[in-house]
Amino acid sequence: MLATVIGFAYQIADTFAFLVLASVGLAIIFGMMGVINLAHGEFIMCGAYLTVLTARAGLPLPVAMLLGALVAGVIGMLLEYFVIRRLYARLFDSIVATWAVSLIATQGMLIVVGPSIEGLKTPFGSFELAGLSFSWYRVLLPIVALAILGGIYWIFIRTQFGVHARATIQDPAMARALGVDTDRVYALTFGLGSALAGLTGALYAPTMTTVPTMGSAFIVQSFVTVVVGGADVLLGAAPAAALLAFIQSLLTASYGQLIGQMGLLITVIVVVRMLPKGLSGWMLRRSE
Amino acid sequence: MNTLTRALKRLNGTQTLGRGRAFWSSFAVTAVVLTLAPAFAESYIVNNLAYFLLWPFMALGLSLIWGHAGILSFGQTAFFGLAGYSYGVISINLGDANGLTWVAFAAALILPTLLAAVVGYFMFYGGVRDVFVGIVTLSITLVMETFMAQTAGPEWAIGTARLNGFNGMSNMPPLTVPWFGGEALVLEGTPFYWFVLALALVVYLALRWLVNSRFGNVLVAIRENPDRAEMLGYNVRLYQLAVFAIGGALAGISGVLYTTWGSYITPSSMGLTAAALPIVWTAAGGRKDITTTFIATVFLLWLSQTLAVRGAQYALVLMGAILLGVVLVAPDGLVLPVVRAVGRLVARKPRSDTAADARAASQEVA
Amino acid sequence: MKKRPPALSTALLVAVIAAATAPALAADPVKIGLLEDQSGNFAIAVIPKIQATQLAIEEINAKGGILGRQIKLTHYDTQSDNTRFQEFARRLIQQDKVDVIFGAFSSASREAIRPIMDRGKQLYFYNNQYEGGVCDANVFVTGAVPEQQFSTLIPWMMQKYGKKVYTIAADYNFGQISAEWVRNIVKQNGGTMAGEEFIPLSVSQFSQTIQNIQKAKPDVLVTLLVGANQASFYEQQASANLSVPMASSVNVGQAYEHKRFKAPALKDMYVTANYIEEIDSPASNDFKKRFHAKFPDAPYINQEAANAYNVVYLYKAAVEKAKSTDMKAVRKALESGDICTDGPSGKVCIDPKSHHQSHTIYLVHVKADHSVEIPKVWDDIKPYWLGEVGCDLSKKDDFSQYTPSSPPKK
Repeated sequence: MLATVIGFAYQIADTFAFLVLASVGLAIIFGMMGVINLAHGEFIMCGAYLTVLTARAGLPLPVAMLLGALVAGVIGMLLEYFVIRRLYARLFDSIVATWAVSLIATQGMLIVVGPSIEGLKTPFGSFELAGLSFSWYRVLLPIVALAILGGIYWIFIRTQFGVHARATIQDPAMARALGVDTDRVYALTFGLGSALAGLTGALYAPTMTTVPTMGSAFIVQSFVTVVVGGADVLLGAAPAAALLAFIQSLLTASYGQLIGQMGLLITVIVVVRMLPKGLSGWMLRRSE
Repeated sequence: MNTLTRALKRLNGTQTLGRGRAFWSSFAVTAVVLTLAPAFAESYIVNNLAYFLLWPFMALGLSLIWGHAGILSFGQTAFFGLAGYSYGVISINLGDANGLTWVAFAAALILPTLLAAVVGYFMFYGGVRDVFVGIVTLSITLVMETFMAQTAGPEWAIGTARLNGFNGMSNMPPLTVPWFGGEALVLEGTPFYWFVLALALVVYLALRWLVNSRFGNVLVAIRENPDRAEMLGYNVRLYQLAVFAIGGALAGISGVLYTTWGSYITPSSMGLTAAALPIVWTAAGGRKDITTTFIATVFLLWLSQTLAVRGAQYALVLMGAILLGVVLVAPDGLVLPVVRAVGRLVARKPRSDTAADARAASQEVA
Repeated sequence: MKKRPPALSTALLVAVIAAATAPALAADPVKIGLLEDQSGNFAIAVIPKIQATQLAIEEINAKGGILGRQIKLTHYDTQSDNTRFQEFARRLIQQDKVDVIFGAFSSASREAIRPIMDRGKQLYFYNNQYEGGVCDANVFVTGAVPEQQFSTLIPWMMQKYGKKVYTIAADYNFGQISAEWVRNIVKQNGGTMAGEEFIPLSVSQFSQTIQNIQKAKPDVLVTLLVGANQASFYEQQASANLSVPMASSVNVGQAYEHKRFKAPALKDMYVTANYIEEIDSPASNDFKKRFHAKFPDAPYINQEAANAYNVVYLYKAAVEKAKSTDMKAVRKALESGDICTDGPSGKVCIDPKSHHQSHTIYLVHVKADHSVEIPKVWDDIKPYWLGEVGCDLSKKDDFSQYTPSSPPKK
């Protein structure tokens, strides 16, 4: 009995961490800025690759991870400057642009680095509880996910940059009129989103194969979580991840991975139908 | 005659680019050249052309739904797949004698239309809008893919047709036209090509008529400002439902044709990559006009195949680079700038046509 | 345009007529078409196949080709995309008019082109391990099949570790059919299935699966996982310290996971493969030397590379026996029962009834440091199942794929 409860709690936390970390970068780029970033998976891949390569070259793992996130952020800023900036007036075209970037990134990685590289070992080993053994690292991931959520909240609510960013996204002309350097804000916000995606890749790199197409493992979950969260990303992303994680874990534990996967998607359909403005829209309406 | 002339007049209008003698004569020439292609081109080229021509139906559907009505559906492949599998199941069970493959064909168009109507009702009458439509439709196509991929066992059969899971369903008979008192005409190779070409021409003209009619204009009004359209008295949700059903039918046409062309249908036709492709074609071509969408789809299919043949592993990188360039440099899609450039080169027109073109240019959809 | 002098034009005319009517000399190449994924999801396991084919062709051409004719290879990158397979299969048949086609990795891509091969009556070789059962007049298979890989592996594992078996398999044809084979063999050998899990191809997070396995406490874990997403299972189970010996027919031998994951993720993984790079025999070492001479940067030589190399020699032997590249004649030669080749894993032959190939099966054991030992070798395991259930292509044409639960109708 205890094993079942602990096991289930672990599964929810594990799935929650995956959904949060998969969607956190996209939440900023798509949820806040409106850019439909089909290359989101490739930023994750970039962070993962960099982490693995630098860690194997000798850097301590946390440093390698931060480096992976940083490089992904810089690449994001370059992408914003050269490509995304021209598309703010026509956001639907970001679909084609980011799709094209995704093609170039995955295939380019395959050509330059090869179809796969040797990976990393998951740190910290395992522990036993109630007759089951768990990985310490995977218990750490949900905690890191919550910390990142807290960090984003802090950045966007409590710092001047965050306030400027939210103002710019809400009404760029007005923000400019008030003296905000909107170009710089866009660049930094996009960079932050891609850095977070890179961090996700870095965090999951020791648990997955490093292949050029590894981003595809995250992309569907990230989009559905962000959209179910609704327009107010800061308010909706965490509840959306929690709800979806709970349902997917319950279904997977009871009926297997197939029902879990299908159940996640069907839940998304049902939730969107019941709450057409997403979770945050529903929460905001209820608070009025 | 009055209805006919009125209908023919609607082939030109504010929602379609291209009018006047230059456009329609090049259209006629293209149609004739394509029809006569089997006479001077090898069978491989003819088959390949048929392959290129079977996809634009899905892109046209998306142009209608997204470009004209403003509904971004990320799941057209759900209707594509349903049509393909329906044709497979029904034609394998009924066989190809006595024209029964056409029963399968008809069912394979009706079923996706019904599904689209149900999904449309579910979404539009439930208040689902904008990006949420994309997510719901994407989820639907992915659920179908995930489900179908595991139907490998022999228990997953409808009648004598095994769904066969991820490996895909094959051995369905091609479309056969019964020739009473003689050998039936099997639509393969050149006859299949003519069938697809004829269908393409008919559907294209029909859609031109549709978007230039009142229905089409209302769709654009809904795209621009749904609340205003509602307040002007139009039943917005009904229009959205109708156009979504039509889009589903069009995606279904592509689905049936693909299945009969290759005698094969697979769940990956409903996956994420397959779902993104029509959106990329439509967006890169200029989604608001069906002519540019059609041309761009065929061109991009040809381009990606040629790159794959000649470019080895660089094909996908080059494709990405070209798409990126197109979207940055040509905001209206890649067809218009080319057409305009060609038009400027061939600028020896009688004055009346120039006036018509000037009017057309000034009335261009934003 | 100036008028050409009559002498020159006559000479041109004569030359053209001569070229058009000249008999097919040694200059007329043998055309081999290759449909393999050089990019996309499957590139990892497929690139060695392409390299092996190129190596074999280069060697044969250097020694004079087939029947004195050089081999011309036409390879299209199918990008791990079924529609590309369909497009390029047609191109090879109708435009390039090749004498034989090799290729396909996933069963889905093979099934996508099999109707096209059958419609075009095109000779086609599938050189990949798969779930078995293809009984098709136009198709020959050099890949290993379940009766070769499981009837060797499972009894051995059960004898060494115990009779409770848990299977996790990719949730599609290959995984389900392979799992069926495992289930049957476990029962035949007096064991029990502690559990079976089928996992969709897109899944990359396995915490629940790992927990289920722990609760079931099996003696042997059979892993039939396919694709990069599912390969993440190995690292995740190691970090949770699952510690159950694993058995597979599909991992390690194809996508060399033991080189890509950090030790000890694949500790105590046992795989039956028809070839791996680590085999230390004269034939294998010689093959490796030649392979690395041509491809110094090759990441790994997997079992499918051995198949892709052997098939070129098998085809050569068949064409030489038939004394022509005519597809009907070559097929007859292949069904004669004595088309064999001595490849990196020893002697392999084509079975006339099923069009499949015999194999030397190596039991590969991955140790804690990811080095490899080979505790057992089974020689000359024939692909007996199709023949036993009634598929005899040397007597009767067929164009189907069968499974244990849906065998040919008697």
